[in-house]
Amino acid sequence: MEGLGINLPSLIAQLFNFGLLLVLLYAFAYKPIIKMLDQRSARIRESMEQTEHIKRQAEQAEKETARLISEASKEGQKIVDQAVQIGEETKQKAKQDAKIEAERLITKAKLEIERERDDAIAELRSAFADLTILAAGKVIDRSLDKEQHRQLIDKVLEESKLLDVN
Amino acid sequence: MAKKKGCLGCSFPVAIVIGIILLTVGVISLLGGALGKELFSNISLPAWLSVPSPEPELPASVIFHLFGFPITNTIITSWITILFLLMVFYFGTRNMKLIPSRYQTIVESVIGYLLGFCEDIAGVKYGRKFFAIVATIFLFVITNAWISLIPGIGTITIHTIEGHAELFRGVNTDINFPLALALISFVFVEYWGIKTLGLGYFKKFINIRRFVASIKLLFRGQFKSAISGLFYGAMDIFIGLLEALSEIMRIISFTFRLFGNMTGGEILLLMMLFLAPFLLALPFYGLELFVGFIQALIFSGLTLVFANIAITPAHSEEEH
Repeated sequence: MEGLGINLPSLIAQLFNFGLLLVLLYAFAYKPIIKMLDQRSARIRESMEQTEHIKRQAEQAEKETARLISEASKEGQKIVDQAVQIGEETKQKAKQDAKIEAERLITKAKLEIERERDDAIAELRSAFADLTILAAGKVIDRSLDKEQHRQLIDKVLEESKLLDVN
Repeated sequence: MAKKKGCLGCSFPVAIVIGIILLTVGVISLLGGALGKELFSNISLPAWLSVPSPEPELPASVIFHLFGFPITNTIITSWITILFLLMVFYFGTRNMKLIPSRYQTIVESVIGYLLGFCEDIAGVKYGRKFFAIVATIFLFVITNAWISLIPGIGTITIHTIEGHAELFRGVNTDINFPLALALISFVFVEYWGIKTLGLGYFKKFINIRRFVASIKLLFRGQFKSAISGLFYGAMDIFIGLLEALSEIMRIISFTFRLFGNMTGGEILLLMMLFLAPFLLALPFYGLELFVGFIQALIFSGLTLVFANIAITPAHSEEEH
């Protein structure tokens, strides 16, 4: 033992040194570093989880967007179809209206024309009667009683009208 | 990329010059050392090149007394080790950030390596419990070993009452230090065992259950089974005693493994430096660096393994 150098004071000193180092390292190395390592790994795990979460969210959002787009597209198609239909209807209606209007105008014009013609005929007839009276007066050289005369002509014309109609 | 001409990153002329210098140093080292003196006794070299013969001694020298307490050179060196480790970790952990600086990364990786080592062997729960002791053993032993490898650290001598003494000496080579570590390792292993298993921890040392049961059988008259039971019971007791003895023997094996390796390494280096002062001892420094690491790893690793065994319950009797 003596030759090896074992002695109690040195042993106690080395035990004390070890204890001292243990305490110092615990305070200055193990505790803060392990805390930091744990903190860092927790942080990394957290951020990885977060990334995963965000990725999932993004995927969901993408799916949702796709769904919305397809829905909107369908909706749009429907609206366009509706619009086309309405347009068609409107066109048809306009056509109808135009046709009706045209017919109305034509009828009106026809009536007008008829009225014009009747007026013209009446005028012509009156002028013709006057002319006939004048001519007849000239021919028979006698002046008929104007009133008598007119009656006569009217009678003739009435007959002729009947003839006309027939 | 064109391949560079030359040897080991130097151009040929530089490599040749370096080679010649190394060769000269090697030759001088051979001639100046003890080997050269034996072989070529007629060559005399200047006095500053000849190396005095080493006188290794096992007990550490007392440098001074502090309040009547002898302070040896190994105690002084262990204080330096403590101071060094404290400084390394103090500056490494003074200003810790989640995104570490380079220096912080270094100290963190050392601690992280040791923590991983503990957790790998003993699991996360117990590994963290054992960590402080195991890591302190590792760091203390390896730093002691490497500090005593600083070239020339053993040449600083001091006048004491008992004559010349080295001021610094590798702590691992003073048997009191390995013994102290072994005692600490032993005490903590037993403490963890008792704390984890309670009184059941002693089951593996005092194993008389089968013996007692066999004696009962003997009184009941079941001789055949009683005799075989007595035999196995006696064996159990013997194995328990062996367990207990091996537990005690660990202290000695721990002590002398570290002490022997480190003292042997120290003497090897002294001898190599004596035989050939320059250059030739260099590979042995590399070897001793490695040995220091391995011894630190073995001491802390064995403590860890023994602690892990101690907290594992012994095979219960119900299994038989």
